[in-house]
Parts: sequence; C-alpha cells; structure tokens
Amino acid sequence: MLTTAGLLFWGLLVGLDLISVPQVMISRPLVAGVGAGLLTGDPVAGFAVGVILELFALDVLPVGAVRYPEYGPATVVAVAAAAHTPIAGGVGVGVALGLGIAYLGEWSIVATRRLTSHHVQRAEAELDAGSRGALSRVHLGGIARDAVRALSVTSLGLLLAWGVRTWTPVAGRTAILLTAAMTGVALATATMGALRLRERRRAISWFATGLGISLVWVALR
Amino acid sequence: MSVVPLILSGARLFAVQGSWNYDRLLGLGIGYAAEPLLRDLPGGRNGQRYREALGRAVAPFNAHPYLAGFAVGAVARIEHEDQSEDLARFRIALRGPLGSVGDRLVWTGTLPIASALGLMVGVLGPTWLGPIVLLVVHNVAHLWLRLWGLLAGWRLGRDLIRALRAPGLMVALRFAGPAALVLLGMALPLAASWMLAEFDLAGQVAVAAVFAVTFVIGRWFAPVLRGPLLGLLITAAVLVGARL
Repeated sequence: MLTTAGLLFWGLLVGLDLISVPQVMISRPLVAGVGAGLLTGDPVAGFAVGVILELFALDVLPVGAVRYPEYGPATVVAVAAAAHTPIAGGVGVGVALGLGIAYLGEWSIVATRRLTSHHVQRAEAELDAGSRGALSRVHLGGIARDAVRALSVTSLGLLLAWGVRTWTPVAGRTAILLTAAMTGVALATATMGALRLRERRRAISWFATGLGISLVWVALR
Repeated sequence: MSVVPLILSGARLFAVQGSWNYDRLLGLGIGYAAEPLLRDLPGGRNGQRYREALGRAVAPFNAHPYLAGFAVGAVARIEHEDQSEDLARFRIALRGPLGSVGDRLVWTGTLPIASALGLMVGVLGPTWLGPIVLLVVHNVAHLWLRLWGLLAGWRLGRDLIRALRAPGLMVALRFAGPAALVLLGMALPLAASWMLAEFDLAGQVAVAAVFAVTFVIGRWFAPVLRGPLLGLLITAAVLVGARL
C-alpha cells in the first residue's frame, strides 16, 4: 500500500515536471526509472527500464506545440510491472506497457491543453483588462489540471501494471524475446533520434566519432 | 526596485508553462512571471498602469521555456520605462530567437549531453549515479539560463538582443550539438553492452536483428513510424505469435 502511494506520488511529480513545474527533468526515464526502482525495492530493474525508455525518449524533440509520448509516468508504471522479475524476462513486458501509457500521456496532455484553452477563452475579457485574480486562477488552474492528469495517467497505468503482474500475458522464452525486441527497437530509435539532431552529413560524422571511441572501449574492456 | 520581485519572478519562471494552451501559448505564464515586477509601477497594484501592463503581458507569446526569463525581464523593464507603444511588435520579434536558441542549445544540446553522460555513468559505475549526473549536468545549464535570462532581460529591456549575441552563448550554440552527437555515439554501445549482458546468444542475435530491421524501416522506408509505435507493433506481433 505504501509502495503504491509512493509510486502514485512519484508519478504525479514526474508528470508535472515534464511541462508544468519545475522542468528539472526528473521526468526523464533514467531518473523516473531509478526513483521508481528505489520505491519498489528493485533499483536495478528501475535502471534497466529507465535505460530502455531513455533511449526511446532520445527521439523526442519537444519544440513548439509538437505532440510526443510522455515517458515520466509511463516509466513509473513500467517499473511497477517489471520490478522483482528477471531483467531479461520481465523488463520487456514493463516497457511495452510503458509505451502504451506514454501514448495515453500524450493524448492526456493535448486534452488538458484544450481544456486550459477553454478556460482562457472564458476569462479573456478579465485577462485583457489586467485582472490579477483571473490570471492566477487560470494559470494555477492549469497546473492543477496537469496534476490531476498526471495522477490519473499514473493511477490507470498502475492498475494495468497490477493486471499484467497478476495475469502474466507472456512468460518464458516469449518474455525474453519481447525484452530483446524492446531493446533493439530502443537502440534503433535512439540512433535515429541522434542523427536527426543536426544536418545529416555532419551529424553522421560526429556520431560516428563517438561510436568509434565507444566501440574500442567496449572491445578493450 | 528591491530584489524581492526579481526573486518572486524567478521562482514563477519554473512554472511558466503551467497554463500552456492553444490560444495564448506561453502568454499567461509570461504574465504570471512578470507580475511581481509590475507591482511597483506608478499607482501600485490597483493602479491603471499596472492593469494595462498586466493585460499586455498575457498576450499570446511563445519561446523556449528556459529562455522565457529574457522576455519576462524585458517586458517588465519596457513597462517601467513607459515605452509600451510598440510592445506587441517587440514580443513578436522575440519569439523566433528565444525559440530557436533554446531549441538548439537545450533540446539538441545540453539535454542529450546530460542524458548520454547519465547513461554512461549509470552503466559503468553505480546505477544510482547515472540519474544524478543527468540531473546535475542538465540543471547547471537550465538554472543558469533561467537566472541569466531574467536578469539580462530586466537590465537590457529593448536591447535584449545584445545578450543573445553574447560570445559565450555563440560558442555554446556552436559546440553543444556536436558534443551531444559524440557523447550519444559513445553512450549507445555502452548501454547496448549493458543490456546484452542479460541475454544468451539467441537473445543477443534477436536484439541485433530487431535493431537492424527497425533502423532500416524507420530511417529509409517509413520515417513516420516512430520508435514507440514500432515497439507497440512488435509487442502486438509477439503476443499474437505467442497465442498461436
């Protein structure tokens, strides 16, 4: 019960961090994952889930009003589903669930922004007249709506994680295959995301330089 | 002016996107953060100048959230200098630079740098250290941008563009992207080797095969199919395969 409450609170914090407050990046999967791992008593599973979802998140460029999956609460849910299972056997199921929740998070962000737009339109005259009360009400209301959103996404996700742990949809070799598939897709996603960061030819040369250094390091270890 | 309004405004900047919406984008957040700096306009909080300034401050605006402080400081300074006649044009002129500089410096620079360093440290050292490194590296740049932006905007007002041409910022813009790419190139094989250690040979071959297929599809054949969607499609395929 205490663990669930802790995960809900952590999901709320990382959900708020992405957009509303304070944007210090506790919403990054690597941070959210280890945090959730500590709460569930399995920091290694938290790190493993965090690494895979962090690789997915490297593909996101949150410029302007672009839509993108929300990985903070999704990582918390994924760790809840994967904790205390063998890494190769349980992480894939957790990550797959996390990806679904990330899309749910994306949809919920758009819905929340539309709702805030509605409140802005209703208070338009007051806002344009310089009403401090209207400004505080609409702005702080936006943060409160985002908090409710983050808590709702995390709650639903934790319910699904509980279902996944109870009725194990995949096990044995299939579960290992799923983890392998998630790892492969995550690595490819991060590579494609990195190559999109800068103009194509230069990006490839800088990326290849780092890749070369690392491959030599890995080979020599 | 005392330092208290600047501190209040700086604290509110951390929630500048709290009411982001499709009508005014970041506008309300800018107004909310600028409000403490407008309180000592002639007439005080109940005065005409304050209300008019606050009404202008909440107009539609967009910028990178970490660089919003530049706009908050500059808008408040201009209101204090009573030169608000073409403030709307000034705000429009600011949107492009504050967006593009932030995107290049943060989203394609310091954030991937912090992420790559966090991954590397977590894989090579104690796992708990990875997230700490990510947070520290990212937030050094983050906090500096928020603080410097607000103070530069408040100090320079309409001359804000001078701050955006600062030599240090130019150097950071030039090198952040390449540094991110080199570090990501270093981090990915290390993360891969850490994950691969959990699999037997068949599992490692599966990881390599899925990587190759996903990369080819995502890079050349169907760039619209992003990684998470491919991940869900593969999950569905694995689940259906397991049932059969």
